Order: sequence, then structure tokens, then C-alpha cells
Amino acid sequence: MISFQPTEEQRAFAEMAKQVAVERIRPQAKAFEKAGQIPGSFIAELEELGFLAMELPAAWNGLELPLATQALIWKGLAYGDLAVAQSLPGAGDAASVLRFLPDLEKLRGVKEQFAAGKGKTIAFIDGGSGPEYPGSPLRLEKRGKGYLLDGRSAPARLAAFSDFLMVSAADASGEELLLFLEKGDSWEAEGGSGRLGLSTAGIASVVFREAEIGEGQILAKGREARELLEKARTRIRILEAAKETGLMEAALDYATAYTAGRKAFGQEIAKFQGVSFRIADMAIELKAAELLVLESAMKAEEDPARGQSLANRALSRAHRALRYITDSAVQLLGGHGYVQEYPAEKWMRDAQAQVMLYGRERELLLERGEHLIAGGKGVAVS
Amino acid sequence: MISFELSERQKQMKELAHWFAEHEIRPIAMEAERLKQVPGDWLDKVNKMGIHLNPSSFAGGREKSGGTKKENEANRMGVIAMEELAWGDAAVTLSLPGPGLGGPPIQTSGTEEQKERFLSIFTADEPRWGAYALTEPEAGSDASAIRTTARKTEGGYILNGQKIFITNGARASWVVVFATVDPGLGRMGQRAFVVEKGTKGFSAPKIVEKMGLRANETAELLFEDCFVPEENLLGGEALYERKAAKTAGFQVAMKTFDSTRPIVAAMAVGIARAAFEYTLDLVKREFPKQGKFYRLAAELLAEAEQDIAAARLLTWEAAWKADLGMENAKEAAMCKAFAGKMALAVCAKCLELLGPAGLQDHPVEKWYRDVKVFDIFEGTNEIQHLVIARRQYAPYRIRV
Repeated sequence: MISFQPTEEQRAFAEMAKQVAVERIRPQAKAFEKAGQIPGSFIAELEELGFLAMELPAAWNGLELPLATQALIWKGLAYGDLAVAQSLPGAGDAASVLRFLPDLEKLRGVKEQFAAGKGKTIAFIDGGSGPEYPGSPLRLEKRGKGYLLDGRSAPARLAAFSDFLMVSAADASGEELLLFLEKGDSWEAEGGSGRLGLSTAGIASVVFREAEIGEGQILAKGREARELLEKARTRIRILEAAKETGLMEAALDYATAYTAGRKAFGQEIAKFQGVSFRIADMAIELKAAELLVLESAMKAEEDPARGQSLANRALSRAHRALRYITDSAVQLLGGHGYVQEYPAEKWMRDAQAQVMLYGRERELLLERGEHLIAGGKGVAVS
Repeated sequence: MISFELSERQKQMKELAHWFAEHEIRPIAMEAERLKQVPGDWLDKVNKMGIHLNPSSFAGGREKSGGTKKENEANRMGVIAMEELAWGDAAVTLSLPGPGLGGPPIQTSGTEEQKERFLSIFTADEPRWGAYALTEPEAGSDASAIRTTARKTEGGYILNGQKIFITNGARASWVVVFATVDPGLGRMGQRAFVVEKGTKGFSAPKIVEKMGLRANETAELLFEDCFVPEENLLGGEALYERKAAKTAGFQVAMKTFDSTRPIVAAMAVGIARAAFEYTLDLVKREFPKQGKFYRLAAELLAEAEQDIAAARLLTWEAAWKADLGMENAKEAAMCKAFAGKMALAVCAKCLELLGPAGLQDHPVEKWYRDVKVFDIFEGTNEIQHLVIARRQYAPYRIRV
């Protein structure tokens, strides 16, 4: 039966996340950005509450939470600050791959570190999107029983301070591979200045200099790798879209409060319809994105085959809504929106960095459109 | 628990409504548009089948099962059914016999005697309609500004005034009419009456011609010293005498919007879906499988589908809140604002894909004309924005 009522557990988790966001994350977010990093003590605080292990499988000492529950929690955390939410170390996006490989023998050592609570950081370099990407794509050449990996990846989150890399790449024949590399495996992170936004999230390219990939570093290949990556990307896209809704809500609430208090021409500017109608549009866009994210989260777990396309739909919408809402917040604050005494300009920068990092909006749309034309399920079937 | 799956009853309702839309409504839609009315023999037929337009009775309210009360799902059933029927054709759907938008105010505010008297007339012997008359030449969404007067007299009230844009207003057996006992009292002066067809002084002098929804009757109503007996005052005098209910007439109008706006939004979703599915099918059959037209189609169709899905979810949430008795004015306004605007945009995207060929031989241009009014009636898009903004600023005690 159609229902929008979260479970008691979901409600409690989401409330706790929002409380942490308001009381702990928001007040310190600007200082973290200025410092370019988040103190270890603060990370430990969030780790203690379980926020670093929500997606990880139980075998990895993770909470293995359902997507919808995580979506509500991430929304709550990102309400405090998206950049902080994106800077949390741990398995990051790779956790969504590990979700499907909880007991892979090749990762036993790493799993034991996580299971013992000594988890480090894994960056997920998703180079599987192919040579159409601008910049130097990763080159993967067959060499004996293994491969040589060369090239510079697109910037990825957590790469600047990762201990391990999970890499997807395709060889010359188009066969996809999923690889796992440790520090010292002929790669290094480059960049990570984060001028635009998400500056504490360790966004960096990874340069591979003819890194030798042995059999033991190949987690999956061919069809198995492709299917695994499709399932993982679905989860990543939904979780990223959920984080975006948290920032949207923050920007909407802040802009509402500001315009309710700011006066011009003798009255609160909220009383001008040019202002209040934009606030209404922001509220509608937030709600639309939020519902698409929740729907995709529920359906991706019920019907994984359908989940990928629904995740594209949700993330594409979330990107659009996020850009609109954060830009609107800056606009409604006027000059105050543009200066760093107020959080709106940071949120707009973080938002733009986020949508660039996680899939082009138009590309996601195009993928969804191709799926529909090819006969995929659309809105007709509930 | 959050769920986007339909219950068994909801699925059955969807399937039944879709079957009816596909096999009964669609085949007559273009002819009805040409005739500017739905054929009488068809209305007789569907009336005998027991098909009525009654948004307040889709699920029959709560049902008992094994001693436990089932969750009320009437509003969710309503939006699911109306999406499917409007997918068939909105003008024909709005012309279906039944109480229509007049049903919800009687259901929510009428006395038991009034419910029995006005809602039991929809029987198989002949098609009958109810109607809802709020809008006037100088007052639409601003329900507190209505100027139709109701002067108290012995045994009832005398109504004078004019109502416009009233769906099924001329053919209706009764019309829920909003009037004021004193324009100076604003909301406090408002009353809702049920005026029956044939009442002396009540006439429908004009049927308007429209951009779309041409098969559906839109009437102008006139009240000239029209005596309405006390027993036709919705809710009875007692409703207005209670101190806490001084604005009862206005509240009837506002509460009606909370349940009818999701219905209107669902219809807009249905029309948009019709245009989307028609165009998707055409693209699959006739468009090249690569190149610029293919990419254009993929992108436009994905955008359209995303908008339709979002509108449907917004609508479902508003209906779900109504079913649970939760305050839903903001959600009702959100779904109406979003769905009304997006449905026109979806139809425009589909026309863009059809190109000049869309000017003839395709139904999308009709849906484009039909759907425009869904961004206007039951409160314009701008009014919905006002409702949303008021709720958004309520914690700050700012009245926008």
C-alpha cells in the first residue's frame, strides 16, 4: 500500500543524523573548509555513531542498512554540510561494491582490518564510463596473465587520502575489469585543491604509471564485473542523490528564515511574491527530488534490474534541483549570499562540485531515455 | 513503512479504471470533442454500468475486516483512478455522471439527511450530475471575496449573484453554491448551499466555448431572487452557530480544495502520461535508432517521464496525508502546482518531437489544449504558490 510513513527506526536514525548535523556539523563546517581538512577527533565522533559504516556489509563490521534508511540518514547529515558528509573516510563509494562481495577471498586481509575496526580509506575510481570522457582515459593493456594500468583518472572523492583504490576500467577490447590496489602499487593522487567546493573531500585524480596488475588484484572481469558495477553504481547514485536532498533542505530553510527576517521597502522581503514564490518553487523541487530518491531506494532493493534506470532518474533530478535551490538561496540573500559570512555561497559551490563529480545530468537523462525507448519500464507501471 | 507499491485494492482499481479508459472513453473522445458534448446514449450506458464521477467515494472510506478497521485509502484510490480515467480523456471523464466536485463538500460538511438526499440520487435509471460553484467574475481563488449574496428570510435564504466556469453546471441536478450573508464579514459571512435544478430564480444562461475540454460542459449560473430552503444550507444552521465554526462556509471551500487539488493533479498526470506514451510509441516505431533525432527524443522523453513520475509521487503523498487525516494543504498545493505546469510542458515536448506532423492526425494537440486548464482551475498555479509560501513562512508568523 502506498505510504510515506518511515518506520520508527528510520525516523529515529534520521532525527539523530539531523541533530548531529545541526549541533555538530553546521557550526564547524566553515572552519573545516578553511583548514582544508576535518580533524581526526571529529571523524572519530561520527565513526562512533556508525555514520562511516552504513553501507558496508556486516562481515566488514558494517551496518548493512537498507538504501531507504541510508537515504534518510544521509539527508539528515548533509543538512549540516554536504562537504563534511562527503569527507568521511572509510570505504566510501567502494562500500557499494563491497556490499556484493562480502566474502571475497582476495579481500580477506582488508576485510579483517575493517572488521577489527582498523578500517582505512578506499577511493572508488570509476573509469568504466569509457573513452568518451574528456581527459586521458585509463589505459588497460593485457600483459601476460595480468594487465598494465596507465593514465590519469578523472577526479574522485577520497582519492587524495586513500589507502586503497577500487578501480573500474575497460581494456582495449571493451572488457570491464574491477581492480583493487594498495598503496605502493604504482599510483599516486594528484591535485585535490578543491577550489570550487567539497574542498575537504579529498577530491583528486589518480595517476597510474604502468601499474602492474596481477591476478590477485582483479576482483571481477567481463560480464561479472559489468553486472557488479551496475548494481554498485545504482546504489551509489541513489545515496549521492539522497545527500543532495539534505543540502537542498538546508538551503531552503536558511533562505526561508533569512527572507522572513530581512526587510526592504518597509516590510519583510518574504511579503514580495518574487521572493515567496521562489521559496515555494524551491520547496516543490526539494519535495519532488526527495520522493524520486526514496522511490528509487525502495525499488532498487525490491527489483535491482529496474533500479539502475530509476537511480539515473533520481540523480538527474536531484542534480537539477540542487543547482536550482542552492543558486536560489544565494540569489534570495542578495549580496549577503555572495559573501562568506553566510553559508549560502559555500553551499552553491559545494553543490556544483557535487553534480560534476557524480554524473552529468544530461548524460543520466540520455541513459534513462535510451532505456525507455529500448522498452524499459516507464511511468505507466507503478 | 514507506512503500510505493499499490495494495491489491489499489491495483484492482487501477486496472478497472484503465480498462474503462482504454475501451470505453478513448474510442469516443475525438467524436465527443467534435460534437462538443459526450453522446447521450454513451452516458446512459455508463450510468447503467454504475460508473460515476465521485471523488469522495472511490474506496468507500474505511472498511472493517475481521473486527479491525482497515486504513482509509479513499483519497489514494481516487487519485489512482482519476489518473487512469484522464489518461483515457479528461473531457469525457469530467462529463461522467455523478456528484463530481460537489461530492466532497457534501460528504465532509453535509448533515446525514443532506448526504442521503443529495448523494443517493445517482442511480441507474438515468444519468445525473452534481456541481460545485465557487468562482465568480470577480472572485475565483480568493474565496473570501465572493459577492453572491444570501439574504436570510423566513424558512430559508434568497440568493442573488452570478457564478462562472462551472463544470456540468447546467445539467446538474444540484449545485453546491457559495454565497455571503454579508460581504463586509469576509470569511465569517460565507455559507454553502445546495441549490436544486428547477429552483425558481436559478438558471444557466450560457455554456462557454473553450480552448480545450470541449466535450465537457462549462456553464455560467445566475441566481435571481432564488429562494433556497433552510434544509439546503450545507451542514445546517447549527454548523454556523457554533462559535468555533464561524468561518464554516469558507472552511468548506478550503477543505474541498485539499481533497480536490490532488484529484486535479492526478488528472494532469494522466493526460501527460497519455501524451508521453503515445509519443514514446511513435518514437520507437518511426524514429531512427541513432543520430540527432534519436538523442533529442531520448532526452526529451526522459525529462517528460521524470516529471510525470515526480508529479505522481507528489500527488500520492498529498492523498496519503488526506487519508490519514493529516494536514495536507501544502502538499495538495504542491502537487497541483507541479502537475498542472509539468503536464503542459510534457505535451509541448511531445508536440516538439512530432513536429509539423503533430498539427493533424495525432491526438497530442488535443491533450495540449485540454491540459492547460489544469494549471488554472481549482486554483491557478500562482495561488498554489501562495498557499505553499504561506505554509513555508508560517513558523515565522509572516503572512505572505
